[in-house]
Amino acid sequence: MLFMINSNKMFFFFTLFFSTLISISSNSWLGCWIGLEINLLSFIPLITSPNNLLNSEASLKYFLTQSIAPINFLFSILLKLLMLNFFFHDLFSIMINSSLLMKMGSIPFHFWFPNIMEGLSWLNCFILMTWQKISPLILLSYYMNINFISIIMIFNCIIGVIGSFNQNSIRKLMAFSSINNLGWMMSSLMISESIWKLFFFLYSFLIMIMCIMSYLINIFFINQLFNINLNFFFKISIMINFLSLGGLPPLLGFFSKWMIINFLIMNNMFLITFFFIMSSLIMIFVYIRIIYSSLLSYSFKFKWFKNFIKYNYIMIINFFSLISLSGMIFSTFFFI
Amino acid sequence: MHQKFSICFISFFFLFFFMLMNLFMMIYFIISNLTIMIEWEIISFNSISIVMSILLDWMSLLFMMFVLLISSSVIYWKKSYMSSEINLNRFIILVIMFVLSMILLIISPNIISILLGWDGLGLISYCLVIYYQNVKSYNAGMLTALSNRIGDVMILMVIAWMLNYGSWNYIYYLMFMKNDFFMNVISIMIILAAMTKSAQIPFSSWLPAAMAAPTPVSALVHSSTLVTAGVYLLIRFNLLLEDMFMLKILLLFSGLTMMMAGISANYEYDLKKIIALSTLSQLGLMMSILSMGYGDLAFFHLLTHAMFKALLFMCAGVLIHMMNDNQDIRMMGGLSIFIPVTSLCFNISNMALCGIPFLAGFYSKDLILEVTMMSNLNMMVLYLYYFSTGLTMFYTIRLMMYLMINDFNLMSVYNLYDEDYIMLKSMMILLFMSLISGSMLSWMIFCYPYMIFMSLNMKLMVIYVSLMGGMMGWLVSKMNIYSVNKFLMMYNLNMFFTLMWFMPNLSVYGFNYYILSFSKNLYKNIDMGWSELFSGYGMFNLIKNYSLISMIYQMNNFKIYLFSFVFWMLLIMLMILV
Repeated sequence: MLFMINSNKMFFFFTLFFSTLISISSNSWLGCWIGLEINLLSFIPLITSPNNLLNSEASLKYFLTQSIAPINFLFSILLKLLMLNFFFHDLFSIMINSSLLMKMGSIPFHFWFPNIMEGLSWLNCFILMTWQKISPLILLSYYMNINFISIIMIFNCIIGVIGSFNQNSIRKLMAFSSINNLGWMMSSLMISESIWKLFFFLYSFLIMIMCIMSYLINIFFINQLFNINLNFFFKISIMINFLSLGGLPPLLGFFSKWMIINFLIMNNMFLITFFFIMSSLIMIFVYIRIIYSSLLSYSFKFKWFKNFIKYNYIMIINFFSLISLSGMIFSTFFFI
Repeated sequence: MHQKFSICFISFFFLFFFMLMNLFMMIYFIISNLTIMIEWEIISFNSISIVMSILLDWMSLLFMMFVLLISSSVIYWKKSYMSSEINLNRFIILVIMFVLSMILLIISPNIISILLGWDGLGLISYCLVIYYQNVKSYNAGMLTALSNRIGDVMILMVIAWMLNYGSWNYIYYLMFMKNDFFMNVISIMIILAAMTKSAQIPFSSWLPAAMAAPTPVSALVHSSTLVTAGVYLLIRFNLLLEDMFMLKILLLFSGLTMMMAGISANYEYDLKKIIALSTLSQLGLMMSILSMGYGDLAFFHLLTHAMFKALLFMCAGVLIHMMNDNQDIRMMGGLSIFIPVTSLCFNISNMALCGIPFLAGFYSKDLILEVTMMSNLNMMVLYLYYFSTGLTMFYTIRLMMYLMINDFNLMSVYNLYDEDYIMLKSMMILLFMSLISGSMLSWMIFCYPYMIFMSLNMKLMVIYVSLMGGMMGWLVSKMNIYSVNKFLMMYNLNMFFTLMWFMPNLSVYGFNYYILSFSKNLYKNIDMGWSELFSGYGMFNLIKNYSLISMIYQMNNFKIYLFSFVFWMLLIMLMILV
């Protein structure tokens, strides 16, 4: 893909990946903070491009938010270091958690997230939605205020749904859907880290398919789906992956959600489960709204419009769609 | 070569061949008193085994033989009757599937495989009733299918209840589990199922409606297959049902069915409907003697009745063919002059139906009535039996007078022909059988004869009521246009009798009206009203409005987000410090 030929970008990718690894594997808060900062500084060159004004705006916004969040993180960990004798663990944890929530773009500090997504290309969106969330989530799991985070994740689900309900821009919609999934991720983090790994892996996989497909056919808004000449299998892949992302039962996306629901119920967290399931119901409605009208009901076939997709990409897409269609069935074989 | 072996002939050949095989096997089984049971265990889990089992004894073989004989001759007859039919193959295949599902029902001692045959009968009878695709047929077919569906559901529930015993081979539990409460529940359900299939009183409106089917199907359905399935099931369950209270209720209902059908047949002018109602009457007779505990007599009458009833329907089919597809008996008349052979068959089968001595019906019907007279009964049941016997004679004589004696009323120029030898040949088989089957069976299936001992007047009671009925039938057939006005004097009573004691209203109009209007109210108030407001449309609006509000927050200045975050952190820090 495009970034592979640019040596600068390769360097920044390297630092992006390793900064995350630094922050999640360091044994002091200061090391975590250093990782976060390197992460920010390596992501900004990736998202800027001199030709596109929106990218520059997005990178500026990203810089502002992501610098304020680690500053507060640094401030709170230093405060915690100073006041170690005091007994305010709840409030400290809320402070640290808040700065991390700001960093990963969760409720109630999510306002930057859709705005910045709007200005990014699809591949950067993918990185922002998946990789950039690893280090804040892992750091969150180190020092988590359960009561605070429970409320936050319920609101994540609700706001994710409500925000994506009326959306025309697919990038914003995916941003809100990412906020919605953030709630699931936090709950899985609350239960156990291995379930979080599973969920995060499957979520990134599905998001990756969506982003690559949208990148290939170059769509950013729902109405672009109406007048795009797609072949049948591509349409079906889009449909399957959206439904899988929404968590429709026989598909792969349901599998991770199923595990989380199962563990939540086993731990007697019925209210959270209720909100999660209800929000994912409406999330599915939102996805189906995209698919149904644009890919099933109405589509124009322009004679003068040819959408050319490289053959090997089609192969990749089909392979990924196969996994997302039948991954749950395959994965059951591992547990036999 | 291709023309010579039509599908009718091939099916006839195979069915007849199997009939002969069954005949010889049956004779062998009777002589050596043999019963063969074949079991194939399909699956077994948690101490429950689902087996496919086949029971071959003289009863199932004999019944199968009769079914095959009637179906083979009907199919052979159909070659002429349905000669101008386009979808003849479909029709034949449907009929053969019908016969096969009946055979599956006959040979299975297992309630699951009985359900297979039972459901097959219901489904294919629906397909056959709606064969002539018009609205009347659709209505009749739906009525038939839904009435039979009640029986299907009962059998399904029996399957569920029999899960307790670990196996569905009911034949082992009939004696052993007789005093079990569950077995009583099962027997009640079985009786209800049999009542739907054999069209006993609450469910009997489908039987005349099913006359919308083609005539060969009626011949098959009403003689040996569909309607006798219920009787056969009860004969199989007879060991269990003895001394049960439910059986007394069945006795009352079947006696009433007998009388209701007899009376309604006198009011009817449709040829096929008269014969259908006479079938209903005979079914009532079988059911009532069955519910008195004489299963073998019911079986005997079932078989003989099958023979002459199939013949009667085939003759009716020939008549309808000749009458320009007209079924109204007022249009017919004087047929014995024009078509003597068909009239011969018709009259003999009708006479056998009334039980004229030494025809098929005599042996079974007379025996049943005498056994009834000898057993310990109350007056009402006895009246029902004998009144219905008289009524049988009544409508039979009426039908014969209408058909055979008067002038031909259909057209002024007509040409009736009695030389359709395909039809006549197949009718001859059944004619022969309806002459001899009564005596043959009575010698064959009873190990020792029934001992009848009664006074002369009691013995002659059957003849009294028959003569009286015949007299009445003759008088009624003399009715002309002026005496129709006499019916108007008791209009309500006549409507009551004509509409089968308002039975169709019970199962169709009365039922549908309330359910449909309730459904309409539900649709209007729930589906289009509250439910729409609170679930579909209302929810959408609610979330859409929230989404708009959240969009307004989204449109805020970027500084405010950052400030609010910092403010929040400051707030918490203050809480720590203070």
